[in-house]
Amino acid sequence: MTSGLTRRQWMKGAALAGTTAAVAGPGLVRPAQAAGTNLMVVQWGAAWIDVSKKIVAPYEKETGDRIAWELHAGGAMAIVAKIKPNWPNVPYHVISCWDPVFSAMIKEDWLEPVSVAEMPNLKEIPEIFFQKNAKGQLMSVPLSTAGAFWGYRKDLVDKPIESIEQLLEPRFKGKICVPYPVNLTGLLLVTLAMQRGGDERNVEPGWEFLKELAKRGNIGRVINNNSEFINAMSAGDVSVAFFNNGGWSVVKDRFPVTILNRLKDNKGFLYNEGFGILKSDRTEAAKRFANHFARADVNEMYNIPLGSGPTNPKAKVGEKAADFYYTPDELAQYAHVADFGYLSAQVNDWAKRWETEIVPLLRA
Amino acid sequence: MRPTPAAWLLLVPGGLLLGGLMVAPLGLLALESLREFVGGRVGGQADRPLTLANYAELLNPAYALYFWETFRIGALVSLLALIFAFPIAYVAARTPRRGLRKGILGLLIAMLFLSVVARLYAILMAYGPTGPLKGIAQLFGTSASSAAFAEVQVMVGLLHFVLPIVALTLIGTVQNINPRLEEAAMALGAPRWRAVTGVVLPLAVPGLLSAFLIAFAMCISNFVVPLILGRGVVLFVSNLMYIRFSEIANFPSGAAIGIIMLVLSFGIVFGLTAVIRRLWPAAGGVR
Repeated sequence: MTSGLTRRQWMKGAALAGTTAAVAGPGLVRPAQAAGTNLMVVQWGAAWIDVSKKIVAPYEKETGDRIAWELHAGGAMAIVAKIKPNWPNVPYHVISCWDPVFSAMIKEDWLEPVSVAEMPNLKEIPEIFFQKNAKGQLMSVPLSTAGAFWGYRKDLVDKPIESIEQLLEPRFKGKICVPYPVNLTGLLLVTLAMQRGGDERNVEPGWEFLKELAKRGNIGRVINNNSEFINAMSAGDVSVAFFNNGGWSVVKDRFPVTILNRLKDNKGFLYNEGFGILKSDRTEAAKRFANHFARADVNEMYNIPLGSGPTNPKAKVGEKAADFYYTPDELAQYAHVADFGYLSAQVNDWAKRWETEIVPLLRA
Repeated sequence: MRPTPAAWLLLVPGGLLLGGLMVAPLGLLALESLREFVGGRVGGQADRPLTLANYAELLNPAYALYFWETFRIGALVSLLALIFAFPIAYVAARTPRRGLRKGILGLLIAMLFLSVVARLYAILMAYGPTGPLKGIAQLFGTSASSAAFAEVQVMVGLLHFVLPIVALTLIGTVQNINPRLEEAAMALGAPRWRAVTGVVLPLAVPGLLSAFLIAFAMCISNFVVPLILGRGVVLFVSNLMYIRFSEIANFPSGAAIGIIMLVLSFGIVFGLTAVIRRLWPAAGGVR
């Protein structure tokens, strides 16, 4: 069967279209659309991708740029493993990640420096939030202040938890959910170590605590990403967990939750999430995109559903973030900013210790 | 008859494809396994001397547990798959009712089309700690949130995964066995069960071994079943590899685990085939 359009009809149509375009002038074709760039952005799933798509819809119309998304599979470090064998021929232009992953990418020299001159919205973000390279250049676009904390579902725990030492009690048998030590770059070990007087450079007390929990059968679930955490806590087979505020925020939407971030004998962890601009031939469009997310109103819109704190001080802090958003007075008492550069160098050894010392106890 | 030069020429495209898709990546994997890893960096360091450290660390007895668990669960599930699949295959191959045969084949093929992830989550929802069938854990003398029951769930998940493939493989095996041999046995007074166990089963040994090896290979290389149903406490070797590659970017260690797994798997497959050939010489080994 042939097409219903004859050559004569096609010529006629083309002539009409040409005449219309010439008469109407270039106004019919928006310059931004003509100059639009295709960008591939890697983002987390769940609330992250939902809010990002909402933000990007009007942005695409305004600039003509077209954003394709790819989701992180597992932790953000997984994308590093995908990039390494193919670098510099990778399809990604912007990667959503957090402090330890920024560190790894900076060490590999994959990231493009950013500056206020090219991205004016960055001038509003405090310099302390940025990741820098050895030359002192800004290497990340910080968008969220996030954290990792202990917490529990109030409807599943008979009496309040006031110290994580209580997690050794028999009532928590099979009820504790923890991330793999590679997840959150080993912050689980650090929190347990801090409970027993250690810190990230002295995690031995943390290993001892972890062994006690495993031996008593109190660890019921080991999770690897946000979706697994949300599923585990929503199912209700575990009631206490250590995870990031993004995961807690979703669980809190569905169940009564207490975040243990103001404990007398332990601390919560703070870190930044944001965009890294990969070196490519599309850095101009990638910076335009990231700069848009740093704008106060967009930064506010981005962080509210994530339950994270905005990095742009002009953005309002959402209700969900208020729980872990420490006042300046509280920061020293309740919050800890870990040395993620150091942690990311240790996590390989910690993963092996987990496999050889903890998993056998969990299987016993 | 010696192959002609033209016949050798015909092997070139396949050989190139095999070399490009299999041998070259495996060679690169082997090379990566000999590289040094520096914590916090990504992948092996190409500018440093090659090392056997990535293999040496696997000598820790704790790692034997992971290999043992993977092979043990894989072998058990493959055996269960044979036990469950053989009667299905036998009925499908021998039934005179075309509708029943079509129904069995349709069901087996439909199972292959159903997403593995959907099946696994269905198992998790049904048998998990909050599922309606969580009481089954008590039959095993444990609770639904225990590591032991996580292993049971992993086995059920793997069985779901391999059962249709094993059954479809065995249908061909049974069909290739002349039904007159069973009829002869029964004509001589053997009951059907005796005819099947005494005549069909021994003749089906090569097919059973092939099906077992297919199931075993699919089980031990499986990643998603222990990931979803293992609750983080039942870990296969493939999960260890994934963590090395994807979570800590330690490619050399992941590669070393992969090479060891490959060698052990080949050893088991060839060893098993040799044993079967010795025990059933008339069967002629794997067909």
